Amino acid sequence: MKLMFDLPKQDEAALPAEALGEKRMYCLPYNYENNKYAEGYMLFTDKHIYKLLEGKLLETYTYSEMSDFSVESLYGCSAFYAKVNGVSTMLCRINSGRNLPRYSVMVKACELLAKGDSDTVLKSDEPERFCPKCGRPFVVHTKICPFCQNKKEIYKKLWGMTRGLRFMMMAPLITTAIAVVIRFIVPFFQAIAIDDYIIPKNQQYGAFIAVIFAIVSFDLVHRTLNVIQSRISAISGNKFTLLLRSLLFEKIQMLSMSSIQEKSTGDLMGRINNDVSVVQNFITNLLPSYVSYILSFVVALCLMIWLNPLMCMFIFIPLPFAILFIVKFRKTMNRRNIRAWVLGMRTNHHLQDILNGIRIVKSYGNEDAAVNTFQTNTANQAKQDCSNAKLFDTVFPIMGFVIRLGSYAILMYGNYLMFVDPMTVGLVNQCNTYCNMIYEPIMQITTIPRSISEFTTSLSKVLEILEENPDVSDIDSPKYVKLSGDISLRNVTFGYNSYDPVLEHVTFDIKAGEMIGIVGHSGCGKTTLVNLIMRMYDTTEGQILVDGTDIREIAQNSLRTQMGVVLQETLLFSGSIRDNIRYAAPHATNEQVIEAAKLANAHDFIMSLPEGYNTVVGEKGYSLSGGERQRIAIARALIHNPKILILDEATAALDTETEKLIQDAINHLTEGRTTIAIAHRLSTLRNADKILVIDHGKLKEYGTHRELLDMKGIYYKLVMAQQRLAQEK
Amino acid sequence: MAEVKNMNENDNDNIDSLFDKRKSVQLTPENAKFSLSSGGLISLEVHTEQYGDEFFERVLPVRAFPITEPDEFISVREPDTREKGRGAEIGMIRKMSDFDERTQELLLSELDRRYFIPVIKKINKVQEKFGYLYFDVETVAGKVSFVMNNPYSNFRTFEDGRMFLYDIDGNCFEITDPNKLDKASLKRIEIYL
Repeated sequence: MKLMFDLPKQDEAALPAEALGEKRMYCLPYNYENNKYAEGYMLFTDKHIYKLLEGKLLETYTYSEMSDFSVESLYGCSAFYAKVNGVSTMLCRINSGRNLPRYSVMVKACELLAKGDSDTVLKSDEPERFCPKCGRPFVVHTKICPFCQNKKEIYKKLWGMTRGLRFMMMAPLITTAIAVVIRFIVPFFQAIAIDDYIIPKNQQYGAFIAVIFAIVSFDLVHRTLNVIQSRISAISGNKFTLLLRSLLFEKIQMLSMSSIQEKSTGDLMGRINNDVSVVQNFITNLLPSYVSYILSFVVALCLMIWLNPLMCMFIFIPLPFAILFIVKFRKTMNRRNIRAWVLGMRTNHHLQDILNGIRIVKSYGNEDAAVNTFQTNTANQAKQDCSNAKLFDTVFPIMGFVIRLGSYAILMYGNYLMFVDPMTVGLVNQCNTYCNMIYEPIMQITTIPRSISEFTTSLSKVLEILEENPDVSDIDSPKYVKLSGDISLRNVTFGYNSYDPVLEHVTFDIKAGEMIGIVGHSGCGKTTLVNLIMRMYDTTEGQILVDGTDIREIAQNSLRTQMGVVLQETLLFSGSIRDNIRYAAPHATNEQVIEAAKLANAHDFIMSLPEGYNTVVGEKGYSLSGGERQRIAIARALIHNPKILILDEATAALDTETEKLIQDAINHLTEGRTTIAIAHRLSTLRNADKILVIDHGKLKEYGTHRELLDMKGIYYKLVMAQQRLAQEK
Repeated sequence: MAEVKNMNENDNDNIDSLFDKRKSVQLTPENAKFSLSSGGLISLEVHTEQYGDEFFERVLPVRAFPITEPDEFISVREPDTREKGRGAEIGMIRKMSDFDERTQELLLSELDRRYFIPVIKKINKVQEKFGYLYFDVETVAGKVSFVMNNPYSNFRTFEDGRMFLYDIDGNCFEITDPNKLDKASLKRIEIYL
């Protein structure tokens, strides 16, 4: 994010003389003054903070008098505070979405400046969320400004992606064009049939049959082309979807944890499913039909003008009314549809709520209230649906009638011409057909701009992921190593945002085969530490060494296949127990699977299931208890015999008895491997060789259980506290 | 861990600090005196059984029911700090009207800063594009443009007819009574009501 905004000229002029000689560090806007919107600026120099508003200097603060900088997120705004001469002061109020992340950096920056360090210029790694050109926000989770995106470039990229599919994608367009032309030829022959044979009662059957045959065969070709076009569309559309989805999925798997965490699961799923569908639908269905609409419209219009310009005028008499009507009614229609949709959603939400919580509803005896709410909701929905249906079913036929009034005018005028002019029945019929061909696209044309903008937005969302550079990536020739399990951290600092470190200057060594416990209150950085060792993220500063090699030099794949992880939240994939245990080693034999399950104390309960190791678990499968799932997860971690084992609160959610079972399993696990265990329950760590105590991102204590107790520090307090809790129980 | 079973008094205190939690009291004009600090924020002198007389240089009033009962149940808290984490609740004001007018004004001025919900007077433009709504409005705090995503969950109507609009930046706007807006403004948001 940008931290150096340009100061407006009038504010520049308002600066005192001393400010001109000072080094400008940062300049940020603030948004409110006296509960009104304002466009002010805070200029941070190496000595002072100048608060400027529309050409006036409101305040001058001096770092040497300030301390305790902070930002607070309020309701509908945020504020930047500091103590000035020991008195808490609100320096300015800001728009949370736009400027809070910037001022969060300023907290750190001002602390440095107050210490007299004006050489370090901080940067914000947070992505800018607003278009630098127009100031409007980007589409959520992206860097796409729908107003400023370069459409040409997007289309160019899309064109590049279609290599190999181009012919297939062009085919529907070509067949559409041919089909349109044929549609226009048929009325010509109809006119000939009517004028030359039917009306004059011409008895040249041979020629008449030839004309009829021509009409039939053109119609046949037209329909065949339609079939071919649909088939090609289906094939090329699905190929395109397949290509795009697999590219996307592959890319998402390659991205680092940090860029994945920036996006929500729902958002990623949306891009893989919805956005790809929108793109595909546009290319294979909408585009050909738009081409056909536009072509038919233009060709029909030209033909009409050529046949009879005056008659053509009649088509356009009801048109303004029709268009006005469509535009007006579309709003009403939207509103009513949305209302129906909202009511439907409300019913669904309520239904989902109640069905999920049916135990709670029943145990509080609230069935009646639930039934009442549901009935009110469905009744409302039914009422809205019914009234919508009544209105739409009345209006649409009327609309159709109004739009087609033009063709009645043509009939009338055509008839009139037949009396006074060499106009024929066939020609009138032909004109009438073309007239309908003009009306058809008009009904649809109003939706084109909307679907084009939907298409470009979806496409750019897809492209954004495809073009993202993974920030944790292998070096050019990564090492493939066989680990023995020594881990060293050298002065490791890491933060998800650079201004807000989660871990600071952490240094320790773990010898191969040791079991290390990590202790600390929630949110102190334990899981982050483990994620760093697995290289889910790269450190901001410092090094992590495994067997003396920086993990950034080791191939990620090589590193992670030698690590096993058991998390508190055990995720089992849909599939059999055997598949889940074999997840990390798909080719493991049944002996190995059973061996691992035995080590994890899971074998006995698996054998009690009717389908043994073939029992299906996961979302739709057999429901296992927390402890059972946990033991399967342990077996999964064990099967590829990892050199480094990570247990992230693996036993936190279990009862004592299950914990004992799992504890035993873990004791098996830890033999001959480096184990890092995070635990809240300190009893889990009684076998640990050493214990790390982390507090607010800093390594506070490191040593054996005994040493830490003697130290009487944080660990000692925690042990005492847990003992007391146990006694109170 | 038998070796640490015999805890002495000192240790006990030490451990107590782990469970240490401030007991919140009801703040009344008798035990609490609010004043304007020289930094323009609120200071509090309070007397509690637990701690006796205390002075807080800065306290934060926070509404428990900001939308339905803005003037009742106001939690008065210590500010959050990076070192100590979440600030503790010193006490709660049951009703603002229990206090004298000057104190009420003082608290309200800080609450108005903390809860910034400008009332919309006029809607000049609403444009729907790419699934986002782009607003140009006039509020009591001045003219402003904002962007809303997902219009159907970011318009919230309350039982008393008030309406809140939430934008993409975490800002909130109020329409006190949509039916009292001028016709043109009402028309622009009608379909979302």
